[in-house]
Amino acid sequence: MNKNNTQTNIFSLSNDKVSATILLVPALIFCTIFIFIPAIGTIVGSFYSYSLTSMNNWKWVGFGNYVQATQDEYFWVALKNNFIIVFASIVLQVGVGTILAAILDRGIKYGRVIFRTIIFTPMVISSVAVSLIWLIIYDPNVGILNAIFKSIGLSTPSKGWLGDPNISIWMIMITAAWQNTGFMMVLILAGLQGVSKEVYDAAEIDGATGVKAFWYITLPMIRNVLIVAILITTIGAFKVFEFIFVFTQGGPSNATQVLGTYIYLQAFNLLHMGYANALSVILLLIALFLGWLQLKSSRKA
Amino acid sequence: MSRFKIANIIAYGFVTLFSIYVLMPILVMVLTTFKSKREIFLEPLGLPGQFGLSSFERALTVGLGSFMLNSFIVSFFAVFLIVTISGMAAYVLSRIDFKINKYVYLLIVAGFAIPPAAVLVPLYTMVSNLNLLNSLFGVIMPLTAFGIPFTVILFYAFFLDFPKEVEEAATIDGCTKLQIFFRIIVPLSGPVIASAAIFQTVWIWNEFLLALIMLTSDDFKTLPIGLLKLRGEWASDWGAIMAGLTIAVIPVLIVFLIFQKYFVRSLAGLGK
Repeated sequence: MNKNNTQTNIFSLSNDKVSATILLVPALIFCTIFIFIPAIGTIVGSFYSYSLTSMNNWKWVGFGNYVQATQDEYFWVALKNNFIIVFASIVLQVGVGTILAAILDRGIKYGRVIFRTIIFTPMVISSVAVSLIWLIIYDPNVGILNAIFKSIGLSTPSKGWLGDPNISIWMIMITAAWQNTGFMMVLILAGLQGVSKEVYDAAEIDGATGVKAFWYITLPMIRNVLIVAILITTIGAFKVFEFIFVFTQGGPSNATQVLGTYIYLQAFNLLHMGYANALSVILLLIALFLGWLQLKSSRKA
Repeated sequence: MSRFKIANIIAYGFVTLFSIYVLMPILVMVLTTFKSKREIFLEPLGLPGQFGLSSFERALTVGLGSFMLNSFIVSFFAVFLIVTISGMAAYVLSRIDFKINKYVYLLIVAGFAIPPAAVLVPLYTMVSNLNLLNSLFGVIMPLTAFGIPFTVILFYAFFLDFPKEVEEAATIDGCTKLQIFFRIIVPLSGPVIASAAIFQTVWIWNEFLLALIMLTSDDFKTLPIGLLKLRGEWASDWGAIMAGLTIAVIPVLIVFLIFQKYFVRSLAGLGK
């Protein structure tokens, strides 16, 4: 009996290895071919100068593309815009999302599912469609934003809502918040629902209710969910592309570029492939750093 | 008591205002579709005088049907591949003690962090060299790859909590891991498969950047890229643009409303 048992074990162990390899390999192949090899290609390509049409004319330029980036005014504008979008998104999407989640969790009795469904809805609409819908709202001739401002006697921006970069970056934020706040709300709501009733009962005995209880007791308890929410928002803010592509194409005079649109411009409009790669490596480093932060915070959670 | 009432009014007021902010653009989209060109220009805040359908006729000329079919094909195959491949990999990572598993998992997380924009040029070159530009297959493959890391992480968390007793019993009966995975784990993983599939469908249906650089011929464009054509073709004909958006957006909204419970669950799980 005993001998028989050992035999099955040895047999199934080697079988395990075979099945495990069969199950694991497809994922590794896909990620290697389409994510890791291109990532390495980006790094290698960032040390060369070449264009799309002359794929074989690679010229070694060392760190030349990186030096060019540090001297490129528009690269810094794009990076600055990404950071503005990060901070504004955290305030607008995570901040407002937390308030909405708190209200839906304990603030109101009726209509929770309806409100949650409505506020979450924009998440399923493609960003291009979202941008085009908001384009008509911001339009200086037919847009309802102008119409509303005029009807209550306020003046409207002379270059339109998207013509002045100081204004259009905020219009982009309002649109991004429209699409993503519901997602943050649902994420944080799930965290809030994990806080047990006893905690609130105990807090009430200690005299903490309402906003006070929320600030001092609930928020610290959902700290981990908030960190995840902030990280997802930050990563999303570095990926932002469609709103800017549709609204302003990065203009006027590159004032609304972000890294994503600027890489696209350099690569596919100006055909500066090497330089686009160097910009991609900078984006890659930021992305990996954020990924590492996320991994660290999820380990703690 | 009155303090409680005021807090209640503020709470309802805030969610109501936010809901109006969310609904207003969708309402503008639908109403503009039915307005005449004159009404769109002269009465931005007004309701359509009569429900004209001519905007739809103009919108349909850009080929929305074919864009939708392309999006459907891309989403179907990519999501099928993502869910199958990720589920298999996550099962191995959560069950079998390979020494390299830890590094494989770290690699997967790194893959999750890399955005398509950061590998745009080499990816384009590769797909171009394989002669796969302007083919649905050429977008399905990289999209599948970019969907895998997140889905592996999602499945991994689910499998870790999965009771191991059933599998142990099956192992004693002589099943291999491969058999256990397909006969026991898959049938019991309905909820997490639904979550993963929904999340990836939303992402792939709406994916823009990779489709933009790889699909330049109208025959192969997916819906998000095709929608740009509305603007190119109908410049300031807002009725036609909004009609096209309505056709593209309303089916997605209906699917969302039917399955909203699963959508919400799928995304809410991310924070855990």
